[in-house]
Amino acid sequence: MMWLSGGFIFRRGTSVYHRLDPRAKLLISVLMFATTLLVRSLYELAAVLSFMVAVAAVAMVLRRVGRTMLFTAGFSAIIFVLNFLFTRNLETSLLYAARFVAIVVSTSLFFITTSPDELEQVMKTFRLPRDVVFAFVTAVRFIPVMFLDTIQIMDAQKSRGLELEKGNVLKRVRNMIPVLIPLVVNSVVRSGELAEAMESRAYGAVPKPTSLVEYRARTADKAVALAAVFLFALAAYSFYFVFPAQIL
Amino acid sequence: MSLKIGSAETVAIVGENGAGKTTLVKHVTGLLKPATGEVFVDGKDTRTTSTAQLSRKVGVAFQNPDHQLFSESVEEEMSFALRNFGFAPELVEQRVRWGLELFGLEEYRKSSPLVLSGGEKKRLTLACILAWDPEVVILDEPTVGQDSIQKEKLAGTIRMLTSSGKTVVVVSHDIEFLWPMQPRVVVMKGGKVLGDGPAARLMLDKGILDTARVAQPQLVEFSQRLSERPGVPFADPLEARRWVEETGR
Repeated sequence: MMWLSGGFIFRRGTSVYHRLDPRAKLLISVLMFATTLLVRSLYELAAVLSFMVAVAAVAMVLRRVGRTMLFTAGFSAIIFVLNFLFTRNLETSLLYAARFVAIVVSTSLFFITTSPDELEQVMKTFRLPRDVVFAFVTAVRFIPVMFLDTIQIMDAQKSRGLELEKGNVLKRVRNMIPVLIPLVVNSVVRSGELAEAMESRAYGAVPKPTSLVEYRARTADKAVALAAVFLFALAAYSFYFVFPAQIL
Repeated sequence: MSLKIGSAETVAIVGENGAGKTTLVKHVTGLLKPATGEVFVDGKDTRTTSTAQLSRKVGVAFQNPDHQLFSESVEEEMSFALRNFGFAPELVEQRVRWGLELFGLEEYRKSSPLVLSGGEKKRLTLACILAWDPEVVILDEPTVGQDSIQKEKLAGTIRMLTSSGKTVVVVSHDIEFLWPMQPRVVVMKGGKVLGDGPAARLMLDKGILDTARVAQPQLVEFSQRLSERPGVPFADPLEARRWVEETGR
């Protein structure tokens, strides 16, 4: 589980992509996300996914993106089965299933290469309320902690004879209660402690606090952002005018 | 690493953070399966035995009690594992009562385990483990959050377990707590065993302890310093204790 979760959690890297301005990375991810919604055939989706894999290679996170794909494979299979049951169309069902993988990969690429601090700066750029930014960034920052907690709780309950994988679906869901309750309780306790720790360090004392790091886009960042917009426009144009889709 | 723990032994596993102590414990309970090598518990290969089967023999009280408490009441929390292992209802009741009395938790029987203090939660998790009478009891940092009286009680419980033929493994940083029990000590660092032997010998080995970044018990350090003075007849802290008892000084 921890191995799979690595596909969504930020780790410091030294690649060119990691060093990009976080706003440029966000733009790239948003455009890749939008492109996956524009595709109308499996070929187009394959091209978009290939592009994402290329970006992952540049960011030197190929393995971790592979984990993301593996993690989403289960959900993707459900989407495929449900679509196939209702549409009886193999290609459409495959397209929806693969599109889900692509959507997750596009967002995962942003989160695994952008630190919570950078994320905070991006959100501040959009002039979002400070409390909203803080709550969101804290939630992101605590994802690895929650994963670790989940594993430790599962270990503790398994060592008391709990068999999580035993029984039918209903029993398995019920088996998760001893895991979910401590997880929720710990999270609530932790959030209370965090709030107290923040207040004791004067959080909210100044309406507009200064920032330690101010992000300024370099020429290279702007060039990458422009290239991303150009590629998106090119993809959109070719999907609709050069290669008219056969399905949908 | 190669390590063999015999039946009815009391073993203390010490080492700095990241030494591999908890990983070792997880291998014994089958929560982790060895990628290479083998781990046997009572002759059973942990790779082919489920954690549920192993935990009937091996009870682990993990470091953080908040990771396991979830029931509506203390008695339900205690009976959780017993029900998982298929104990008869009357035996569940009997074991719950025994555990609550042993750890002084009878008054909280109907309370939520979540409202207990840190020390009480810790005692409850230990009571939960002992309730199903496992042959091997592993305590991961049992003294965290415990006051000195509770530590003494805990040491008494460990002695009681040892005398009743249980194998007890204590993973702890609390050298002062371990020293009076005189267990077999396994010193770990970087997933390897640096030293393995009786506490009376290993705790005198400053070289191993310094490498493993483990502090010497204060009594050992004190007696070693004393022995450096002329005319002091002992270097061994155990001898020192005997000397104090015999001479009354």
